[in-house]
Amino acid sequence: MAAATAKTRALRSSPGTAGLYAKAALPLIPGASLLPFVAGGGSKIPRTVLTLDGVKATRDELAAYDRVCGFTLRDTLPSTFIHVKAFPLHMALMTDGSFPFGAVGLVHLRNRITQLRPVEAGERFDLRVSTMPLQPHPKGRTFTIVSEARVGDELVWQDASTMLRRGTGDKSAPKPPEAIGASQLPFVAQWKLGEELGRRYGAVSGDRNPIHLHALTAKAFGFPRAIAHGMWTKARCLAALESTLPDAYAVDVTFKRPVLLPSKVTFAAEDGRFAVRNPKDDTKIHLEGTVTAA
Amino acid sequence: MAQADRYTELINTPIGRIVQKQIGLPAPVPLKRWTPGDRVVDGRVLIGGAPGGRLATTLAKVAASIGAEASTPLREDLRAAAAAAGLDAGPWTPAAAATQRYAALVFDATGITEPGQLSELREFFSPTIRRVAKSGRLVVLGTTPTATRSASERIAQRSLEGFTRAAGKELKAGATAQLVYVEPGAEDQLDSTLRFLLSSRSAYVDGQVIRVGSGSDVPEIDWERPLAGKVALVTGASRGIGAAIAATLARDGAHVVGLDIPALEGDLKAVTGSLGGSALALDITAAEAPREIAAYLKKEHGGVDVVVHNAGITRDKTLGRMDEARWDSVIEVNLAAVQRVTDALIAGRSRAVLNQGGRIVCVASIAGIAGNFGQTNYATSKAGVIGLVDAYADTLAARGATINAVAPGFIETQMTAKIPFATREAGRRMNSLSQGGLPVDVAEAIAYFASPASTGVNGNTVRVCGQSLLGA
Amino acid sequence: MTAGPRSVAVIGGNRIPFARSNSNYSKASNQDMFTAALDGLVSRFGLEGERLGEVVGGAVLKHSRDFNLIRECVLGSRLAADTPAYDLQQACGTGLQAINLVAAKIALGQIDAGIAGGVDTTSDAPIAVGEELRNILLDANRGKSTQDKLKPFLRLRPQHFAPAPPRNEEPRTGLSMGAHQARTGAEWGITREAQDELTYQSHQRLAAAYERGFQDDLVSPYLGLSRDQNLRPDTSLEKLAKLRPVFGGKDGTMTAGNSTPLSDGASTVLLASEEWARERDLPVLARFVDAETAAVDYVNGREGLLMAPAYAVPRLLARHGLRLQEFDFYEIHEAFASQVLSTLKAWEDPAFCTQRLGLDAPLGSIDRSKLNVNGGSLAAGHPFAATGGRIVANLAKTLHENGGGRGLISVCAAGGIGVVAILEA
Repeated sequence: MAAATAKTRALRSSPGTAGLYAKAALPLIPGASLLPFVAGGGSKIPRTVLTLDGVKATRDELAAYDRVCGFTLRDTLPSTFIHVKAFPLHMALMTDGSFPFGAVGLVHLRNRITQLRPVEAGERFDLRVSTMPLQPHPKGRTFTIVSEARVGDELVWQDASTMLRRGTGDKSAPKPPEAIGASQLPFVAQWKLGEELGRRYGAVSGDRNPIHLHALTAKAFGFPRAIAHGMWTKARCLAALESTLPDAYAVDVTFKRPVLLPSKVTFAAEDGRFAVRNPKDDTKIHLEGTVTAA
Repeated sequence: MAQADRYTELINTPIGRIVQKQIGLPAPVPLKRWTPGDRVVDGRVLIGGAPGGRLATTLAKVAASIGAEASTPLREDLRAAAAAAGLDAGPWTPAAAATQRYAALVFDATGITEPGQLSELREFFSPTIRRVAKSGRLVVLGTTPTATRSASERIAQRSLEGFTRAAGKELKAGATAQLVYVEPGAEDQLDSTLRFLLSSRSAYVDGQVIRVGSGSDVPEIDWERPLAGKVALVTGASRGIGAAIAATLARDGAHVVGLDIPALEGDLKAVTGSLGGSALALDITAAEAPREIAAYLKKEHGGVDVVVHNAGITRDKTLGRMDEARWDSVIEVNLAAVQRVTDALIAGRSRAVLNQGGRIVCVASIAGIAGNFGQTNYATSKAGVIGLVDAYADTLAARGATINAVAPGFIETQMTAKIPFATREAGRRMNSLSQGGLPVDVAEAIAYFASPASTGVNGNTVRVCGQSLLGA
Repeated sequence: MTAGPRSVAVIGGNRIPFARSNSNYSKASNQDMFTAALDGLVSRFGLEGERLGEVVGGAVLKHSRDFNLIRECVLGSRLAADTPAYDLQQACGTGLQAINLVAAKIALGQIDAGIAGGVDTTSDAPIAVGEELRNILLDANRGKSTQDKLKPFLRLRPQHFAPAPPRNEEPRTGLSMGAHQARTGAEWGITREAQDELTYQSHQRLAAAYERGFQDDLVSPYLGLSRDQNLRPDTSLEKLAKLRPVFGGKDGTMTAGNSTPLSDGASTVLLASEEWARERDLPVLARFVDAETAAVDYVNGREGLLMAPAYAVPRLLARHGLRLQEFDFYEIHEAFASQVLSTLKAWEDPAFCTQRLGLDAPLGSIDRSKLNVNGGSLAAGHPFAATGGRIVANLAKTLHENGGGRGLISVCAAGGIGVVAILEA
């Protein structure tokens, strides 16, 4: 249906995210969005599809990613690692001139990854990234970027990232997914997150959003300190559950509140449900999620 | 104790070493000398040999009995000999030499029966001679040339003397080289000789040839006190080398009867008293002296086991100015009296004062071998002493006894201290060890001859001279 | 309690291919590699979620944070999380000793099944700060006030920042293992030609073992490697002869070819009582019969650093009333070709055997066609603690393939240690 009208653009190589972030920040300058190449000009999500074929992880970037996120270096890719490979395409979409909002300032609400089978570290896969239409939300509007990875014709991985653009809410919007009882989950571990974590994950993921890099740059965007990448927090949870994961599974998380750096957080988990909480107050949830066999 | 001379002390200071290197002075190192309780050899003993040698088992046995850290080349006969002798010998090939140090290199050359095989010496020593440790030892064992079975063998065996003497001159840092000629059948007589040559007891003996023949059976002895229960007569015992001989024989367990002229009785008693020995003050040139000595020893001790003819005098003058008194007194004290006393002690065969298995050791001198300016009298007497050893050897061997001589080179004593500086320095340095010896070095060689285990060591004159250039 | 010791079965093994230092596994930690080898073993024998008696292993080069390395690996693996584990370290003997300890517990009936192995990385090696900087940091840490904490830093000098990497040398002699073996090899007269010949044979035999699929159920691919990276099927005696000596000076005989390279890798072996194996319908490749550990005093130079196996073997033979010749296979760890050849020569030497080993006669020579028949460390590489597991799995399968027999394992280790074992099928 909608896909029929979508405009597909095949990329030859992964876009560099540094330039995209500069571009992403431009809409914050008053009046800049009037310029044709600056995002923020449109009011609808464009039906663009970006593809990038033949993506392959190098051993070094995989090892570096595994180290930062706590995964054991294996011959298969963590499912969150493929998200990292798709992320530049997300950025390219959101910084396109026809995109209605600037990427900087969007809030990552939710991420759901489905791994249909483990992707071998040496395997080449094709990425396809597209957007879903805007949805109403109590605090503004949301949109979802859908990514898929295929090896040949075989779909091996899917990812749906939902972003919130804060604004006038819609009270009639559908409720967010049912709470999983994150406050009640039993304690598993305490993690000490260093001040440098945002820069380390930025280096291995390419996501160098200034809100993650340093307290000063974070302040410019209204955060008291730098905040941890949501996808790092998710990856860290997945690494903690690593030895229990089946070959095919879906891991779905909701980002509830930012994790300021440095800080200590609690990881809690039981029976496929997990959460990252404030160690002093179990009811303050940073992230909650589920893993289910797919 | 052992005291190095001033030059040796100076050369062994950091500044001294710099000066020595700059101007190319000789570099004597303080020689290691033996003290009771020392190991015979401290460090690795490498035992090699030419194929067909007959001493491998003996050498291994001695090495095992002294608890040496030994290695042998990986040749089947040598390895089997080590195994048979109970020697824990490490494996060795020439390639190993580069990383090793040797306290002693011992080579059985008895397998060499023609000059072509002398190359075995080069093959063994060439990679190792520069790896000999400070105060290390190089010992070659051959067959007594007169006891060989062919002309080629005799020539080849005689060649060993040149080899060891030259090798001795290449050794550095107090290391010494010796040749031991072993008569066929005397293989089991080597223990005392090897222990002496390998240990620091032979510190100042260098470039020497010792002949070992078949003696009577070697008794079991306590190597720490080989002379325990023995009585030793030492003439001229009140001072210098004589006092050192007395002390060394006493250390080895002997009861020492010190003898000196009545004028020196006080000094003599001081020496013998401190050693728990006894003093006999008389002039050996006196007509009654031989009989008195024999009677004293018979009466007090029932006989004597070791006789050391150490008493000697010098009365130097060039021959043209040599008067009769100087000549006669030197010949009398140094030679004629020695023969008379010896005769008195061995007279009567089975009832002789010299006990069965007795040991007579004479003190000759390097002057008796090389001659010395102004010492025609002295050199004559000391060469005569060597002749005396030659003359009596067979007689004594017949009664299970031995007679040998030491020929001291430059030994640091009160006597040498009076020599003018330039002459003294020349005497001190003109040897492979670039220093004078100490009285104890002479005494140790005498103790080796005196040992009950040295039954096969007879008729030798061994120089204690640091391989002096004189008369070499 | 059961009466008497039980028979211990070697069920199988799994390892990752061994990589050369700073190559494919340069970014992999010990934990990554051992977990990979362990998970491969778990899936090979269907042990997912099983609680085993224990998992034992270790690494020679280990970060201080890895104090519980093997337990961490178990927790990251698909074994049940309530499988206990412990680390041990005995230099290059680590792997075989770990196997011995698991076997002993099985024999005693303390456990029914366990996994043992080892791992090492020379790429991701721990780097310590120099001793001076370490003291400054410790002093600063001890300071109570801010001033006390800052004051020690005034002592900092640029040279303090030079890292102190782990050193491949014996603490008491300051010599590298290769330098030690160069001395031993020279003493035993081990020639360059003999070393190169053994090296060539090692490569040929390992290559052949891969070709005929022998390694298929012993090795699982990892990070882009499916065979040992050091393996050179195309090497030749001519090529080996061209290499320059790396130990023993310019006249040395030990080269980068006939010495094992620094390597990264991990290995595991599954051991169990025969009953446990039967219940699960698992194969029994061989029985782990016994092991012996010896050490030599190499410090004073009386014995070679790597000669301890030469002492351990006769003790083990005596315990079982066996002669050295009564084996169908010999697996002698090829730390250096020179080490293997020195050991064999020592066993033929009358002086060594009577005086050092206290035997009546030499142990004698072995049939060299039975030595390291499927290749050895010279070809496979030698990630220190991982070698024992490689050898045990290899020999167990070799015996099984042979339809029975007896095999002898010998592994030399730093510190003058040697671990040896007997397997039977």
